[in-house]
Amino acid sequence: MRHYFNDLPKTALTAGYWLFVAYLLLPLTLMMSMSFKDANFIAFPIQDWTLRWYAEVLQDRQFLDAIAYSAFIAFATTVCATVIGVWIALVVATEGIFGRAAIFALACLPAVVPGLINAISMRIFIRVIDLPTGTAAIILAHTVHAVPFVVIMALTRLRSMPKNLTDAARDLGADPFIAFVRVTIPYLMPALLGGMIFCVLTSIDDFVRTFFLGGYKPTLPMLIFAKVQGGMSPQINAMATIVLIATALIGLYAEYLTRRARK
Amino acid sequence: MAESIMTPSGKTSPPSAPRYSGWIGRLAASPIYAGTIGLIANSRAVRLTILLGVPLVWIAALHIGPIYQMLRISLLENYPEAVDGQNAYTLSNYRLFFQEPLYFVPFIRTLIFAALVTLCTLVIVYPVAYYVAKVVKPRNRMRALLLLLLPFWAGELIRTFSVIMLLANRGAVNVLLRELGLIDRPIPMLYTYFSLGFGVVYLIALYMLLPLYSAIEKIPPQLVDAADDLGAGPWQRFRRVILPLSKDGIVSGCSLVYLTTVGVFAAPLLLGGPETVIFPEVIATLFHGSNDKWPEGAAFSIIMLVVSLSTVGLFMKIVGGRSVRLM
Repeated sequence: MRHYFNDLPKTALTAGYWLFVAYLLLPLTLMMSMSFKDANFIAFPIQDWTLRWYAEVLQDRQFLDAIAYSAFIAFATTVCATVIGVWIALVVATEGIFGRAAIFALACLPAVVPGLINAISMRIFIRVIDLPTGTAAIILAHTVHAVPFVVIMALTRLRSMPKNLTDAARDLGADPFIAFVRVTIPYLMPALLGGMIFCVLTSIDDFVRTFFLGGYKPTLPMLIFAKVQGGMSPQINAMATIVLIATALIGLYAEYLTRRARK
Repeated sequence: MAESIMTPSGKTSPPSAPRYSGWIGRLAASPIYAGTIGLIANSRAVRLTILLGVPLVWIAALHIGPIYQMLRISLLENYPEAVDGQNAYTLSNYRLFFQEPLYFVPFIRTLIFAALVTLCTLVIVYPVAYYVAKVVKPRNRMRALLLLLLPFWAGELIRTFSVIMLLANRGAVNVLLRELGLIDRPIPMLYTYFSLGFGVVYLIALYMLLPLYSAIEKIPPQLVDAADDLGAGPWQRFRRVILPLSKDGIVSGCSLVYLTTVGVFAAPLLLGGPETVIFPEVIATLFHGSNDKWPEGAAFSIIMLVVSLSTVGLFMKIVGGRSVRLM
């Protein structure tokens, strides 16, 4: 392979890349190292190190409750968004349906509306339909946010699916439902797994929608937000570090799955 | 795939009813299932209803419904609504926006801020995307990309919080500068436009990186070689070949970054200060305060939605990108 630039621009690009990596990783590294600081306040430099913040956080009822609550919301969101997203993708992928392009555009609408507007319109909407703020409202808003991404992922995979697969199943005597469950779903599975993990991550991560639609029970981001506003101690860093490592592992796994699915 | 539901049942009749194991077998054997599936197989109308019903209702109710309700509330004269349904409609909530500098000044500020952030992100991320797509050996490309993706799984709030660690008065930068003897007292960086911009770029760089990367990666190396052979220097190769061919990525990336920045919410709460009030905070107080004014808030949200989407539309028209790729 030829290099298009002589060496100077190439060196500059390499340096730029590593500087950018440093820019991305430095704040997170600082944040994580602060969680080991043996003092009641957040400030550099760190002189004494301790693990006591982790011990404290892992016994903190509020934190554990928030994890369970966020996990529950993420699970419910993922189930709803996957079912509805795949369903919409099936409609868009079916030939001969009037206005497929319009359906696809509208299905993607929540992804281009800025997050805050999305949250506010949902807040107005749930008051109109008399749904109280709280768990159901959060799940609804997170699902609306996640559906476009599931649609896109499922559609990409559906378009690469040979048509004769389901035809073959039908010729061998499978009815439409069984052909769908035994042929289409397994074919979609790699894309679906990636999409599902994406749903989990966006739901756990979400702040603005939960801010407007949440009840008194805090999700993880709401808890961290409340702690940051209420005065800072390295305890927050320990919490954030635990959440970060967990979500990064999930994300890495998702990346692996989607890359494999594309091959 | 959907064809399975749509195509009429096979022209040749199946040799014999297939048998399945497990739960599908039990389901297929039940008479209710056989009846239902018979109905589906025989009637195109039933098939279409099943296929279209849930998606259309969902999209109409939850993708369009909230925006429609927001538009309706923004036109109401009184809120909460009249019980007998006799609502008076007015444009006064929109008029208020243009009369009150307290509202439109932060709005203009937000648009300028978002445009600047978009530009900065493009300038910072483009060389990085180019490096990963073209300079790194294909074998290492995935690893180089993953290293950049890693921080973005941390979540919006945690990343915003991390920026505080870096920029606070007793944060890493100030402490380092003081240790080096360059400053006596900390430079106030937090709660300014600098920290806000820094934080937002940190939050959204990924939305620029991925579209740029996939666009640059698709540029055939032969084209660059040809330009080289015809005597184009590095700058000309970039300006005349690489830049035009990565236009789609630039348009997608800028649109996504701009739309995200306009609606960014956690970052101004944590990194912004009293002088950096931007429009999302203004809107939020109209919904979240003790004296909430929903119609005004709804009207302002509609203005923001229309202006930000049409800005992106105009940008795409001018630059000539075809479509925004979401992923």
